[in-house]
Amino acid sequence: MSTLRSVIRVGGVRDSRLMVPIVALAAILLIDLIVVPGFFNLEMKDGHLYGSLVDILRNSAPTVVLAIGMTLVIATGGVDLSVGAIMAIAASVACILIDPRIIGLNLQGNITAVVGDPTYSFAPIPVVIVASLVVAVACGLWNGVLVSFGRIQPMVATLILMIAGRGIAQLITNSIKIIIFNDAFAYIGNGFIILPFSLFIVVALFAGAWLLTRRTAIGLFVESVGISFRASLYAGINEKRIKLFAYSFCGFCAGVAGLIAVSSIRTSDANQIGLYTELDAILAVVIGGTLLGTGGRFSLLGSVLGGLVIQATQTSMYAIGVAASAITAVKAVMVIIVIILYSRQVQDLGGRLVARLGRKQAAT
Amino acid sequence: MMQTLGLRLANNRKFLPLGATVALFAIAFLAGTIFFPGMRDGQSFFNLFITTPFLLILVVGEGLVIISGGIDLSVSGVLALTTVASAALLRDGWDPWVVIGLMLGMGVLFGAVMGLFIAYLRVQPFIATLAGMWLARGLCYIISDSEIRIYNPLYRTLSGTRILIPGLADPVTKKGDYVTILVVVALVVLAVGMYIAHFTKFGRTIYAMGGNNGLNEQSARLMGLRVDRTKVQVYMLSGFCSALAGIAYSIYVGSGHGTHATGMELTTIAAVVIGGMALTGGEGYLLGGLFGVLITALIQSLIQFNGQLSSWWTSIVIGALMLVFIGVQSLLATMNARQLAAGRLGSPGARSATAGPRRSLLRDRRVLIGAAAVVVILVVAQVVGAQNPSGASGGAAACTLKPFRQDHAAELIKGGAVIAYERNGGSGCVDELYAIYPDGRIVGDNGAQTVKKQALPADVDALLGSINDLGWFTDNMYSTTEIQCGQCFTYYTAVSYKGVLKTVKAVDGGTAAPANYWLMTGRLSTILPAFGAGAQ
Repeated sequence: MSTLRSVIRVGGVRDSRLMVPIVALAAILLIDLIVVPGFFNLEMKDGHLYGSLVDILRNSAPTVVLAIGMTLVIATGGVDLSVGAIMAIAASVACILIDPRIIGLNLQGNITAVVGDPTYSFAPIPVVIVASLVVAVACGLWNGVLVSFGRIQPMVATLILMIAGRGIAQLITNSIKIIIFNDAFAYIGNGFIILPFSLFIVVALFAGAWLLTRRTAIGLFVESVGISFRASLYAGINEKRIKLFAYSFCGFCAGVAGLIAVSSIRTSDANQIGLYTELDAILAVVIGGTLLGTGGRFSLLGSVLGGLVIQATQTSMYAIGVAASAITAVKAVMVIIVIILYSRQVQDLGGRLVARLGRKQAAT
Repeated sequence: MMQTLGLRLANNRKFLPLGATVALFAIAFLAGTIFFPGMRDGQSFFNLFITTPFLLILVVGEGLVIISGGIDLSVSGVLALTTVASAALLRDGWDPWVVIGLMLGMGVLFGAVMGLFIAYLRVQPFIATLAGMWLARGLCYIISDSEIRIYNPLYRTLSGTRILIPGLADPVTKKGDYVTILVVVALVVLAVGMYIAHFTKFGRTIYAMGGNNGLNEQSARLMGLRVDRTKVQVYMLSGFCSALAGIAYSIYVGSGHGTHATGMELTTIAAVVIGGMALTGGEGYLLGGLFGVLITALIQSLIQFNGQLSSWWTSIVIGALMLVFIGVQSLLATMNARQLAAGRLGSPGARSATAGPRRSLLRDRRVLIGAAAVVVILVVAQVVGAQNPSGASGGAAACTLKPFRQDHAAELIKGGAVIAYERNGGSGCVDELYAIYPDGRIVGDNGAQTVKKQALPADVDALLGSINDLGWFTDNMYSTTEIQCGQCFTYYTAVSYKGVLKTVKAVDGGTAAPANYWLMTGRLSTILPAFGAGAQ
């Protein structure tokens, strides 16, 4: 119990909101321990760490990155449905910058020679990354403008880009699946420094977001806007700017997630990249204890754990032998469990139990 | 007289979104008939209904949920589950009427459970229906991983029967404009939905609950309305509509599969918004939903007729339209709020005190709507401008179709080909003839160039099997070349399977071709090699 409390304190959360994701994660791993032999095996091959646990960490990267951005948006009392579409847009931008042949640009030299060339990239890789992130931030900014200046309900405002975004992504790539041969770009999603490279991106992004929200006043402003934007306005907080920031940051995270996703499958597929990931991201945030709809207090660590819970469930189900296509049903069951855990009735019961435990401890 | 009418309209701004939707549809349809001669055929109007009955049924259920202040993401999932479950039951020899009854019951049950979660556990509708959607989609694959074909005679009759339009068709020769039974069912559902919404206590409660950020729900509760019960009922109704739409869908495509109608919940919500219902709830008319559906179908049809634009322009145009409608609605809401404040506060002094911030909000929104209008104009300019990118293909003018090379195709079949597939017209005014041989050889010829590809014999077998499954050798696959459209493709397909040869001609873009024909061309095009220097 005391270790748990210290974990909670590290997250900067005073109450037991991290309980749900931690307990869920522990329960899933416990099931794996019993049901799947060798689930916890780790082995080193060529300086890379392999194993189901590493798989969970690696595959959860896009969801966790999205969840970090989504947390801030949900904390302002909003929601961003368009992150999946923004992922596809960012991925498409990256792919045409690496390989613009598909949109019919006439490049000098023998074009067929560069097919399969692991060093070929039309634009330098840093430019590719920066450009796609800029586009992603612009998409987030668009959402932010609609929500803050247009006063349009967030779910409605971001629905527009969710519907149109995939069309825009296909417009960019001309609806052609571009295969990426460039090794440097593929490193983002496939590289290893003992652990998968994408994991380091996640950690860096989380650290950045945590410092930004917990070591500056921005986190406080975000929470206050979520609790009451009117009160924040009267308190002198520029709530429009805070919302703009939250949505732009969410767009940025979606861009990062898009780059990780496209680089790990090495193919730009505007139809499939990020499909339904917005739902995973929202679910991760909800599991993490940030309230959807009402906003207010948020927990970045909770969202990260929520993302891990989703991925751990998915990986465990594969390991147990559930068909990949039936996984959505498992996810649904997970949502239902989370709903019940967070419902007021169950929480009241839990609160009473915890209080009784506390009294017992105090007595002994 | 005019003044009172004007005053009425000005005070009844609630009709404005509906009016805008109807006007938009009328203008877009008129523009379509001017630009594309093929659309002047009456049938192209009725095809807007024929291709979307399931969407209209979904919109009725979703519309009521949205008016009540909720949202239902599960509609497409329940639809897909219905197609799979009914296909599986029919395969096992159940009576179709029993299956339909069971499916409707399942839809209601799904809605009831989600409604109970939303009403009594106070779960966000978004989350609860998201779980419903995932559960339904997952169950599809637990029932069956692969597509299940439906061969039931009742389903075939329901999909094949044409209801001729009086006055526009000849009842003796059975030719002329028609709709399908599904369209009639969808329109009946819409009528029932409108009756429920506007003439029953239940409907009034739905309107009373929605809107104003949940505050209206509170007032409805304080008024003594049974909000929780109505909530459960409205989700049950939506579940019923989803299941009914699923039956319509399985009749329309003749199969059940978990990937059916992927993403249709978004199309449904978009149609509801374009139909003038506010996503915040409490406002709008189900009748607008009909026009929302027609507009989405019309956009698709226009893009097909245009021929230069790929299908993904549909989603971009729909997104842009949503932006405009949401902008108009939020502007109206602000104006109403201002009017209300002005009326309540009365004295000029008090009025000017509040007018400042409100006016700036209004200005914000006007700027936004201006921006939205610019986006829409750009998109429309792209749609119209793309008609004539280089002038090479003669722009919007129809290309003179070359006659089908039927003799050549017959020779190919005689030479051992199992499929001869000719594609004429389209934006590039092509004339491509492909021959597919049982050993996996594929040879294409467009008059100037030949392409070859070696596919796996097993792929060819699978293709033939699936074409047979699509009902190729039944009466449901018939030739349709009555309507010619500007830049549509025309197809001539001969398939020889197990010693039987059948040829079917068709034209895409608002024609009366059987739905399965498009599934067939889609499956074919996945294995055909492409022409042109770009691909090499």
